[in-house]
Amino acid sequence: MALDRTQATDSGAYGTPRWVLVASLIGLVFAALGITVLIDPHGGQNLLAGLYDMLGNSSGAEALRNGQGDQFIAKLLLAVIALLVGVGGIWLLFTGASTIVERFSPKLRDRVIPWVFIAPAVLLLTIFLVYPAVGTVISSFFDPKGAFTLNNWTSLAKGEFLEILRNNVIWLVVATAGSVGLGLLVAALFDRIRRESLAKVFIFTPLAISLVGATVIWKFVYAVQPPSQPQFGLLNAIWTAFGNKPVAWATTFPINLPAEMLIMIWLQTGFAMVVLSAAIKGVSVEVLEAARLDGAGERQIFFGIIIPLIRGSIVTVTTTIAIATLKIFDVVFSVSGGLNHDNVVAVRMFQEMFQFFNDGRAAALATVLFIAVLPVMVLNLRNFRRQAAM
Amino acid sequence: MGKKPWTMGAFAAAVVLIAGACGPAATPAPPAATTPAATAEPGASAPAATSAPAAKNLPAVPTGYTELDQALGSDQPMKGKKVSIQTQWTGGEATGFANAIADFQAATGIAVQVDSIGSSHETVLKTRVEGGSPPDMSQIAQPTAVLAYAKEGKLIDVGTFMDKTKLNAEFPSTIGLTTEGDHIWSIPTKADVKSMIWYPVKAFAAAGYTVPKTWDELVTLSDKIVAAGSKPFCVSAGGPGTATGWELTDWVEEVLAKTEDPQVTNDWISHKITFEDPKIKAAFDKVGSLLFKDGYVDGGGPQIVNNDLKTVMDPMFNGDTATPGCWMQKIPVWYGPDFFPDRRTNGGDSKYKIGDDGDIGIFPFPNISDTFKGAEGSADSFMVFTDRPEVRAFAEFLATPEGLEGWIKTVGVLSPNVKVPAEWYAGNYKLKVANDIASGATAILFDASDLMPPAVGQGSFWTGISDWANSNGSNTDAVLKAIDDSWPQ
Repeated sequence: MALDRTQATDSGAYGTPRWVLVASLIGLVFAALGITVLIDPHGGQNLLAGLYDMLGNSSGAEALRNGQGDQFIAKLLLAVIALLVGVGGIWLLFTGASTIVERFSPKLRDRVIPWVFIAPAVLLLTIFLVYPAVGTVISSFFDPKGAFTLNNWTSLAKGEFLEILRNNVIWLVVATAGSVGLGLLVAALFDRIRRESLAKVFIFTPLAISLVGATVIWKFVYAVQPPSQPQFGLLNAIWTAFGNKPVAWATTFPINLPAEMLIMIWLQTGFAMVVLSAAIKGVSVEVLEAARLDGAGERQIFFGIIIPLIRGSIVTVTTTIAIATLKIFDVVFSVSGGLNHDNVVAVRMFQEMFQFFNDGRAAALATVLFIAVLPVMVLNLRNFRRQAAM
Repeated sequence: MGKKPWTMGAFAAAVVLIAGACGPAATPAPPAATTPAATAEPGASAPAATSAPAAKNLPAVPTGYTELDQALGSDQPMKGKKVSIQTQWTGGEATGFANAIADFQAATGIAVQVDSIGSSHETVLKTRVEGGSPPDMSQIAQPTAVLAYAKEGKLIDVGTFMDKTKLNAEFPSTIGLTTEGDHIWSIPTKADVKSMIWYPVKAFAAAGYTVPKTWDELVTLSDKIVAAGSKPFCVSAGGPGTATGWELTDWVEEVLAKTEDPQVTNDWISHKITFEDPKIKAAFDKVGSLLFKDGYVDGGGPQIVNNDLKTVMDPMFNGDTATPGCWMQKIPVWYGPDFFPDRRTNGGDSKYKIGDDGDIGIFPFPNISDTFKGAEGSADSFMVFTDRPEVRAFAEFLATPEGLEGWIKTVGVLSPNVKVPAEWYAGNYKLKVANDIASGATAILFDASDLMPPAVGQGSFWTGISDWANSNGSNTDAVLKAIDDSWPQ
């Protein structure tokens, strides 16, 4: 250790061993090379082609340069480089910056150091979040030709958009309440059974599935065949077994709304359950026992004691799910693209942007979504702060 | 926009397709008829039996285009240059396009990078264009999308480097779709004929059915099929996913082209007449009277919305097409054999042959009016985003008849270029049918919904017609009003 310190002092960089500097320099060179590969749209192919040339596999290299051949390996290579440059680059950034700052006087250093660590995050947030957000709001006031207009906003008052907004409100209320309510119920009930963790696994597992994946699964459940054909959709198989006619669950308004929301609830209940279950377990046994001694019934205990005590967790879970629900896109898009009176803001925003070439109105819809999410965020933040203060 | 009806000339030498030449999309193999070096494009993995081995699919110099002449020079001045092009062609279409451009790459030394995006093509393209790094060129199906990009100032006017007179002469009926005043914003490339119905040939013969020539015969035949205990039509709304509704809008457009003057379609596209106009409503009602009639489509309208485009015709193959579960599907020329059940699930060649003496045949959509016998078609086109000599050369090559030759002669495709020699299509069943359709038509009309504002043509028209099918056509007035209300101001 002492040796290291001496060397470091010799090299002039206070507190940093020499190998760090050397490694940083080498890393910097590699990062620069890596970035040139990443910037080139065909960087991965060309790099692999170069490697192939070195290995004497010229036909493989030629194929790669023409956009054929081992494209998958080229992509893997690119992913590895991206990972190395990304992780290594951040490490370099912090090491480099702190090396510099450490040479300042102790007083100045202590004041600057926090900024060294915050600055990259602030910078990235500004570039990738604040700037686009402001840009989105601005572009919602312009038409495709670049002239100022309020049409993007006034047109949202038309019937088809009111229907979309209505659907979002229904989603917000039903899907959020459903997830939280079911999660709370399951958490409270499972608290009292013997194989609690096993039971929880079944509720929690769907959370590991992506929304699109879940939608594909549920489309099989909702699948409908003509009455003359066997029903391979689970729901219709059961439904027709009782002598009913098959129903197009996913495309018939208004059944399709709850059918789609059920997918979201199926996924989010697990999340609500896990958080709320932990909260319930955090309620002290003494409090519950005292209540029981005072003659409180189980229902009174649940509503009068447990719920108020885990209120913070409920708010957190509710706001988190509410935000996810407001932004709902995948489920509606994958079921039928909002074709059957079931469209929502996020899907319509995508359609306006990519199908209808109405960038301005897409921006207006994005802003609507942003404004809708804001109060929920504020609620959530306030809740965090209160919990931190507790 | 230029929305003149297509004249018969467009398809005078029409279509094509091949039963056997296309292999599975994912398997790259060298295409026929090229030198190996610059042409490692995906080709037909099947032994490309139908491709002519020696012929170079290249135009003769002078081609009439400056940069193309230079590029084809023996000194290969553009050797090593790259051109990127984005397409939504996958499977047989991707193979065909690769075949079409192989010889061009070998002869000029220009490497063409084809980004085949498939179903998210429009989204990816828009992201690339708005993000400031567009491909050099892109294929696109909707003329309205071309005009939208042009309005944003993203496109190179091909008329600035290509001979406008020549373009207008070679694409007389399609170039106008993306022409605005002096500007030509894209080059038509690949045409489709939509006015056709696919049917099981042997089952028709066994049951003693004949191909219907008129609407009344179509209805009579349908009644016979219902009486025999089967369902006449397989119809999908065109799904799955986001492109749902177009098959039904095609039905309405087809009936309109066969009942009214082409001018009505044009006025409809430009909103001079509304969806609530009695003539448009009559077309809806006529389609509804057929598709929503009890027993005509298995499961009725709501089932149409749920049917998957890829699998909807499967019942026709019941008992190897001997006992069809449905007997007729109106679908464009590109449908088979890519979506035949055996090929779709196992890859490789379908055992079902297309032809009047094969398993699946095609007949022209029956006429309704004695006066107006319009047919429906569509055409993809190429947009140019960057202006470099090699991009110009490639764009010019694609505009020549030879630009599609390799595709026409292997996988098979219909060119909108009227200079394409008829013999390139020779001996092909789909060509024969397309010729029948084109020559029998009084006008060929471009897919109307693709010419309407996208918010209608790919938006409210689709949601409306889905709504309409879900209610088995009982809410026509409300649906038409909703579509009219959504028309951009």
